[in-house]
Amino acid sequence: MGAPAALVLAILVSMVAIGLLGVLLDWLVIRRFRNAPAMMALVATVALGTVIREMIRTFYPQGSNPKPFPSIASGSFAIGDFVVPTFSLIVIGVSIAMVVALFALLTYTPVGMRIRAVAEDRNIARLMAIRPSRIFAITFFIASAVGAIGAVFFVSHAGVVRFDFGVQLGLIGFSAAVIGGLGSMQGAILGSLLIAGVDVLVQIGVPDGASYRLVFMFVLTILVLVLKPSGLLGKPVFEKV
Amino acid sequence: MSHTGIETDVPAVRQGGATNAAIVTAVEIGGAALLGAFLLSDKTVIIVALLAVMGAIFAVLQLRPRVEERIVAAFRDQRRLSMALGAVIVLTYPFFMNGSSYVLHLLIVAQLYAVLALALNFQLGSANIPNFATGASYGIGAYTSALLAINFGISFWWTLPASAVVATVFGFLLGFPSMRTKDSYLALVTIAFAIVVHQLLNNFAWTGGANGLVGIPAPTLFGHSFAQPIVIFGWRLPSQANFYYLAAALVCLSIVAAKRLHESRVGLAWNALRADPLAARCQGIDIVRYKMLAFGVDAFLAAFAGTIYAFYVSYISPDNFTFLVSVTIMTMVIVGGMDNTLGVIIGAFLLTMLPEKLRIFSDYRLLFVGVIVILFLILRPQGLFPQRARNYGAHP
Repeated sequence: MGAPAALVLAILVSMVAIGLLGVLLDWLVIRRFRNAPAMMALVATVALGTVIREMIRTFYPQGSNPKPFPSIASGSFAIGDFVVPTFSLIVIGVSIAMVVALFALLTYTPVGMRIRAVAEDRNIARLMAIRPSRIFAITFFIASAVGAIGAVFFVSHAGVVRFDFGVQLGLIGFSAAVIGGLGSMQGAILGSLLIAGVDVLVQIGVPDGASYRLVFMFVLTILVLVLKPSGLLGKPVFEKV
Repeated sequence: MSHTGIETDVPAVRQGGATNAAIVTAVEIGGAALLGAFLLSDKTVIIVALLAVMGAIFAVLQLRPRVEERIVAAFRDQRRLSMALGAVIVLTYPFFMNGSSYVLHLLIVAQLYAVLALALNFQLGSANIPNFATGASYGIGAYTSALLAINFGISFWWTLPASAVVATVFGFLLGFPSMRTKDSYLALVTIAFAIVVHQLLNNFAWTGGANGLVGIPAPTLFGHSFAQPIVIFGWRLPSQANFYYLAAALVCLSIVAAKRLHESRVGLAWNALRADPLAARCQGIDIVRYKMLAFGVDAFLAAFAGTIYAFYVSYISPDNFTFLVSVTIMTMVIVGGMDNTLGVIIGAFLLTMLPEKLRIFSDYRLLFVGVIVILFLILRPQGLFPQRARNYGAHP
């Protein structure tokens, strides 16, 4: 017991809390835009982001200042000649575990089948006695909880947390999902690996790369979408009259 | 008048001309007075009371559509009077502002945002193309003219068209991917473009990096420097009044452009695109061309606004042109009412002035603005003034 157990507990609490927050935001705001044009939902969620950031900034003690965040793991392993930080191993391990768990959830469980049914056709799903509102609540819980883990890893790596660190991360995550192809889990993974790979390569290989990393990442995004308009693994949409 | 070959002027219903004139006069002077009182008040109670009055007016319009119809009919009947009175109000407005340079500053910024919102409206409102890069075009315009003025000493009046041309070229470049992508994918392309432009401005040495550009000279017109106050018949207006009139002229130009485009084949093609791109293509509308055109028009107008902004504040930095600026512009269009010129302008004024006037709530003001925007989107998703059906005179 001690610090590690407390950290694990903190992560679990944040996952549940953020998952419930996601459900609440869906219920309060986002569900009202399900039948509206996509732009409305996008603008509403951006405004929602502003509201949450401002709430942290004003209601958290000293909210506008960066806060130190403890490292969730220190030390390193030696594997042959390589020295790998424990933190990296944990991140990789947990990420793989989460991907496998999400894949299994979507593919093999009744809940996953219902989620896919609602994604395919909400009205027909309703005819099959699936309640879309509950399915949306579940997906918002899962998505927010997974996001919370990602956030904990990110700020633990950075060592500090700020109320507005999510703006850029959110855009990068959105880009990864879109260039992979919305609606495809393999696509999201491929997209994020591609973007992260470009990020790291630019920072190592290009002079002054750290300043230009966003330029490279988003130029890549534009190029992918010009060449593959519905993402790398997204299904091409055929229009019917 | 119209390029569609269809008569758009309503055969005037001549009865009640005097009533219509009275309605037009009351609405315009009342609106101007309300805005003026809101701008000049600095007491919390008064600001909140004025906001309540505005809310009540919008509630009446929401609950009693016939009131809105009546006002619209009156304006249609008394078009000459409404335009003449509007021009007089705009021209004399600075004289009623007690010489306050802060109020004039707010009015200038609001007008520039109105131009940006009108520019975006060509895409988002008329053609349903999501564009999160209007802020980037605004920035490209501002930087082009500032660089030309600082490095080559080119006068404001020449940088205006030059920056518009440069921004339009970039607009077409951005429009290029729009030939293939759409919806969320197209939105992301424009977001990515906005971020790339911001990051490049932030990093290049020749754009001044994060520090931006300083010392943009004030424009001059017939020997009158825009840094000087205006003195007419013993009345003295602060130097901001120069830019107020400049921005007002640009808003006028944008309104005329919006009206002419709306009534032309281009506007019809854009509306067809909004209704259904595939059906529009089947009608023989070259959708790629009209999409590109929408990007070009947006960038062109945004660059004008950017140039005026750069010369007005004489200092620009990349942080004036972030992705969030584009989101703000988009919020103005959606809150005001898509494809409704008046609505878009009111949306821009409201969203520029609200955060400023809510300064009394200091730390909470952005929170308030966010909540208000969300409430607006939920309660009145069609915007303050929804788009109106095209009227060809059959049912005046």
